[in-house]
Amino acid sequence: MRGAWKWLREKAITIYGVLAIAYMLIPIAVIIVFSFNDPAGKFNFIWEGFTLEHWSDPFAITELTDAMVLSIELAALSTIVSTAIGTLMAIALVRHEFFGRRASNFLIVIPMATPEVVIGAALLSMFLLYGVSPGFNTLFIAHVMFSISFVVVVVRSRLIGFDRSLEEAAQDLGADAFTTFRTVTLPLLAPGIIAAALLAFALSIDDFVISNFNSGTTVTFPLYIFGASQRGIPVEVNVIATMLFAVTVAAMLFTIWQQRRAERMAEARPEQELEPTLALAPGQGRA
Amino acid sequence: MTVIRRRLVPYFLLGPGLIWLILFFVVPMYFMGRLSLEEGSLTEGFRFTWQFSNFTDSLSEFDTQFVRSFWYAGIATVLALVIAYPLAYMIAFRAGRWKNALLLAVIAPFFTTYLIRTLAWQTILNDTGVIVDTFKTLGLLGDNGRLLDTPGSVIAGLTYNFLPFMVLPIYASLERIDESLIEAAKDLYASAREAFWKVTLPISAPGIVAGTLLTFIPAVGDYINADFLGSQNQAMIGNVIQSQYLVTNNYPSAAALSFVLMALILAAVVIYIRFAGSEALMGEEARRA
Amino acid sequence: MSRTWRFALAILALGAALVIAACGGDDGGLEEGASEEDVETAAAEPVGGEWTISNWPLYIDKKTVDEFDKEVGANTKYIEDINDNFEFFGKLRPQLQNGDSGGRSMFVVTDYMAKIMRDLGYLQNLDKSAIPNVEENLLPGLEAPDFDPEREYSVPWQSGFTGIIINTDLAPEIDSIEDLLDPKYKGKVTFLGDMYDDVSLVLKMQGADPADATEEEWNKAIDTIEEAADSGQIRDFTGNAYAGPLVKGDIVAAIGWSGDAIQLQASNPNVKWIRPAEGCNLWSDNMVIPVGAPNPGTAQAFMNYVYDPKNQAQIAEYVNYVTPVEGVKEVLAKKDPKLANNQLIFPDEQFTADCTPQAIPDPSFEDAVTERYQSVVTG
Repeated sequence: MRGAWKWLREKAITIYGVLAIAYMLIPIAVIIVFSFNDPAGKFNFIWEGFTLEHWSDPFAITELTDAMVLSIELAALSTIVSTAIGTLMAIALVRHEFFGRRASNFLIVIPMATPEVVIGAALLSMFLLYGVSPGFNTLFIAHVMFSISFVVVVVRSRLIGFDRSLEEAAQDLGADAFTTFRTVTLPLLAPGIIAAALLAFALSIDDFVISNFNSGTTVTFPLYIFGASQRGIPVEVNVIATMLFAVTVAAMLFTIWQQRRAERMAEARPEQELEPTLALAPGQGRA
Repeated sequence: MTVIRRRLVPYFLLGPGLIWLILFFVVPMYFMGRLSLEEGSLTEGFRFTWQFSNFTDSLSEFDTQFVRSFWYAGIATVLALVIAYPLAYMIAFRAGRWKNALLLAVIAPFFTTYLIRTLAWQTILNDTGVIVDTFKTLGLLGDNGRLLDTPGSVIAGLTYNFLPFMVLPIYASLERIDESLIEAAKDLYASAREAFWKVTLPISAPGIVAGTLLTFIPAVGDYINADFLGSQNQAMIGNVIQSQYLVTNNYPSAAALSFVLMALILAAVVIYIRFAGSEALMGEEARRA
Repeated sequence: MSRTWRFALAILALGAALVIAACGGDDGGLEEGASEEDVETAAAEPVGGEWTISNWPLYIDKKTVDEFDKEVGANTKYIEDINDNFEFFGKLRPQLQNGDSGGRSMFVVTDYMAKIMRDLGYLQNLDKSAIPNVEENLLPGLEAPDFDPEREYSVPWQSGFTGIIINTDLAPEIDSIEDLLDPKYKGKVTFLGDMYDDVSLVLKMQGADPADATEEEWNKAIDTIEEAADSGQIRDFTGNAYAGPLVKGDIVAAIGWSGDAIQLQASNPNVKWIRPAEGCNLWSDNMVIPVGAPNPGTAQAFMNYVYDPKNQAQIAEYVNYVTPVEGVKEVLAKKDPKLANNQLIFPDEQFTADCTPQAIPDPSFEDAVTERYQSVVTG
């Protein structure tokens, strides 16, 4: 009996962890399962029957597809801009001593600490006063704005752990600052930048509150869902959500697999050090 | 590079981002501040009249929602901590090869959009669903009981939605712990429990502080969970602000509410950091900065 | 650098930001309602091409839009993004204020919202020569409503009743608003988020005349609703969202709209609309053309098209609300006599005896009660 207790105590944490993970994945399972539902009316709440009908033509609802396309465009655009801006900022903040550094640090952290409802409302106030009509442009501005902080935090945490001896070696070998940056720093920074970009992309696609305030009549994917929730969410939404989920999970699994391969190859050839293609940056921030 | 150009480099790097943030964060805050001191209505127009009463009025009119928001967010944060810490610990120390896969499982829900996740809970906690049935059989709910449209469901939703924000920072700080430290403690005759309390927990403190802040702050201002999973009696201050801006178009009041919310959050955070120690918050970065 | 310098520079930077901010535009004050001479009239030509209409969900059949497109050579974008008049108004207002219609050529809003938009100068007048069918076929009862006595800027899309939708399986005895407040059904009823609908019904229950209610009577009605909301008697305030819970059985009764009930029966045959003992509300959702609307000619052509009894019959068959067009009953009688005799679509005098238009509060206290009601709805 004591043996069983001991085993339980040792494994307790693991069991707890597994349960916690299961808890996190339950709603996902529900979403996926209900994408196969066949409701008679417009409401996808009760399981009524299995069908592949909605999977065969998931883009049937034009409004939904339009919203999805718009969201992806918006996310792509804002990711590119915010990642670029944010990376530059992170480099400045970590690598350079300059006047106003602490203030800048502070300014970057504040948006992360402000509730979205306040940010969205404040932006709307400004647009109203300037007579700017809310639409795609205002959405773009808002999305870049709230992504910058997160990009900076992620890239910065990668920069802090950076081994500068590699850069110094390059410079010893005659490379100037810019070439060093281009051929040594940037590639080694790449995993952090990619992680930040993924984060920015996810934040943008997912954003509802700030977009709700600043979209006018432009409809993004989350905004479409909000409207549809009033009158019944079509099953196609579940289908598209599942597809989105599957694609991103596949992408991340792929990178994990690549990383394992790199690690295994490094073990086989210990004298060569290979950098993993993507490290899940254990940085702070929403992911 | 000449000395002067070198000194300007950080400003060029910082420039675009800083300008963007100032133009689209600081300036809007200023405008919101201006709005909060105006009076009037949509039909008459708004005039700037140093209407400080907007602040006191909104605080007294919506005090229930303010209290409720802090209460719900607080409970959700504590629950999230309780669930997240062991999970993060497990991933950091017991997961071995599965580490990345588990982290993926923690992050993955984010790719289904916030609204759909919350709506999924609406389906799960449905009056005629499995969970409610089980609760009723177990006697936890009366015959007429329900889970949706109660404070419980809103808190549950908040906890669920912000859980990854709690897990990741704690994981990050745990992962940096050198296991040899713990071994050393054990060599010095510490029990497993003592090793945890005296070594692991303190080192992971920055992660806990970061996680709690990243969970609590957005939770206080949230309104989606209350909207989908709660009734009018669970409305949080976020719901009020949203309704005032987008439905009644009472901009001065909405702006005043936003500022009061931010001020209250700031106060709570300052007290918390005093209590937790500011070094815990900035952690290593502060030492290097 | 010394601390004083840093501080000074920070203040300077803040000042710079404020200067940028101060250069911002004037306050978003609205002009008073446009005087008659200022109101534009929507152009009748050209007809054809792209145009966009915003409407409520479940308000049109699947074929009419395509057939209209073919007949006049248009490309209609039909969006169902209106769930609540005020929510829609709130989203669109900044653009309307700038004379920008948000890309839409037409919206469909309830009577009181049409009036609000008109008073703020957001709507154009219609060119009656472009809509002869409307002149000819509009139901006499709808020709001269209080808010638009000459039908200058609005044309009814559909009319409907607000009453109670019940689940006959779970609560067959409910037949009045008062029943909804019976503690027996605590937590099992919902009200609408729409103030005009809810309060009109409660005013009737309390013996006040919706057409003429005083501020006191309005407040008394809102008091009753507030009490029921706080105690949890009313489970939730909804737009179209009462449909799901009703079908599932989470609630046994909801204040709801007549046409919805018929469509919900597909999901749950026990769902039925009833006219409350106190009476019901009669309203119309109206087609209006906003300022800055692109392609108003086609929009008006659409108005004309749906006022042809043949076309309207097709819509009425699917939508099941009260059609505002004369002659539809006869067309449907040939095709589907049961529908033609359905009181909810072609109500006779007796059915509508107790039904009155929604109460509109006097402008002197309209803002106050709207705010009060909103705070009840958001807890």
